[in-house]
Amino acid sequence: MEGKIIVVTSGKGGVGKTTATASIGAALALEGNRVAVIDMDIGLRNLDVVLGLENRIVFNIVDVVNKRCKLTQAAIRDRRIENLFLIPASQSDNKDVLTTAGVERAAKILKKEFDYILMDSPAGIEKGFENSIVSASEAIVICTPDVSSVRDADRVIGLLYARSITPKIIVNRIVPQMVAKGDMLSHEDVMEVLSVELAGLVPMDEQVVIATNMGMPLVMQNNSKAGQAFRRIAKRLNGETDLPIQVPTHKTGMWNKLSQKLGFKK
Amino acid sequence: MTIEMQPPVKLKGVGDGFWVTLDPSVSEDKLKEEVTRLFERLKHLTINARITLDTGDARGCENLIANIGTFLKNTFDVGVVTTPPAKRSVPLERIRQRDLSKGWTQHRSEVLMLRGRVRSGQRIKAKKHIVIIGNVNPGAEISAGGNIIVMGRLMGQVHAGDPDNEEAVVLALDFRPTQIQIGGVVAAGIDENSDAVAEFASIDKGRIIVQDYLKAEPFGNIPWPEVI
Repeated sequence: MEGKIIVVTSGKGGVGKTTATASIGAALALEGNRVAVIDMDIGLRNLDVVLGLENRIVFNIVDVVNKRCKLTQAAIRDRRIENLFLIPASQSDNKDVLTTAGVERAAKILKKEFDYILMDSPAGIEKGFENSIVSASEAIVICTPDVSSVRDADRVIGLLYARSITPKIIVNRIVPQMVAKGDMLSHEDVMEVLSVELAGLVPMDEQVVIATNMGMPLVMQNNSKAGQAFRRIAKRLNGETDLPIQVPTHKTGMWNKLSQKLGFKK
Repeated sequence: MTIEMQPPVKLKGVGDGFWVTLDPSVSEDKLKEEVTRLFERLKHLTINARITLDTGDARGCENLIANIGTFLKNTFDVGVVTTPPAKRSVPLERIRQRDLSKGWTQHRSEVLMLRGRVRSGQRIKAKKHIVIIGNVNPGAEISAGGNIIVMGRLMGQVHAGDPDNEEAVVLALDFRPTQIQIGGVVAAGIDENSDAVAEFASIDKGRIIVQDYLKAEPFGNIPWPEVI
């Protein structure tokens, strides 16, 4: 069976595309799939750092697309997680070195080799974005509960629909305390504007910073709430579609729980 | 600024006679002077000619017409002097009946009707009216030559009556646009957390005002349906 190409995109920068790509990719590999995560952010590569594979880069996606090396040469195998491969971006080029035709050709080879191919799209909706969605069959749009991020996600969803790709949404960095106080948009508010299928909700988690800096895949840490959320998202993508979406909640003290039970607090 | 000068007397050949259009706001002497000037050029053609004296829509000019008529008969030996036949006026009742029965079958109203969600970055433009069944997200732009009706939540930017139709209205079931423009008047949306009630915006004394649609009933006083 041919593999699926899933593009991870957002429009706005810094909402957690790279973290999500690395985490979902790792989680899908832990589920037993052959997974390739591809950094399409040519010139500003990050995915290798997040996965802690920076020191093993020899070839990159530009070399693959421009036929300077074979796919197997560029794919870096992760030693901690079986079946997880990284194809890094080139740091010295810019987004114009890739053409959509070249990416489509490489995508055909990738589909034969892997079950899931996750493309980490750059921020923006220019050439780099075009290159990463050209051969995608599915899309995951990451957004945070900010008005600006929702606005950009909305724009990107429109662009994806225009290319007949139906996107799913991940609402990232939810702070349940702030949502409860009404200081942050809830995922319902976000979905009301975006109205596409929800892939999952990810809470704000300090572990993300630690994992990113150490180059450890988030999903391998059992105490990470965000990591657990990404594992559930991966399971849902992998066919367990009836796995319910968990809404992040904050830990409540005994008195809060008690008053909740008694109906004083919502 | 240019002022269009209409000659007080106009002369036109009609069938076997002449049609003379008079401007009743000009004095009788001046009119006679002008008529003389024009009729002198016609020479013998005026003898026994049929003359129709027309004062346009002005009323109460019977005296003026009679005076000019006798003047023409005496000076230029014209034949019969008449006034234009009264326009056949259709009784108001009949206009209503016709409108009620089939007024809209004759017309083709140009409406762009869409359903679904209009997203940020999308721009919808139509020559006349736009109806959207669905929501308009912030960042979306809608521009119409006529009215804009949103059967849903309006949160984007709208421009009705583009470019200068100040009669246009914008109506939405939940009215909270980021910016609204009607004709040439612009207003910023106000972010009030009001309940979702159908509201509409229109121009009143050069400013855009927003009112509760069901309370204000802007079209409630139009007695029978008309095509827009």
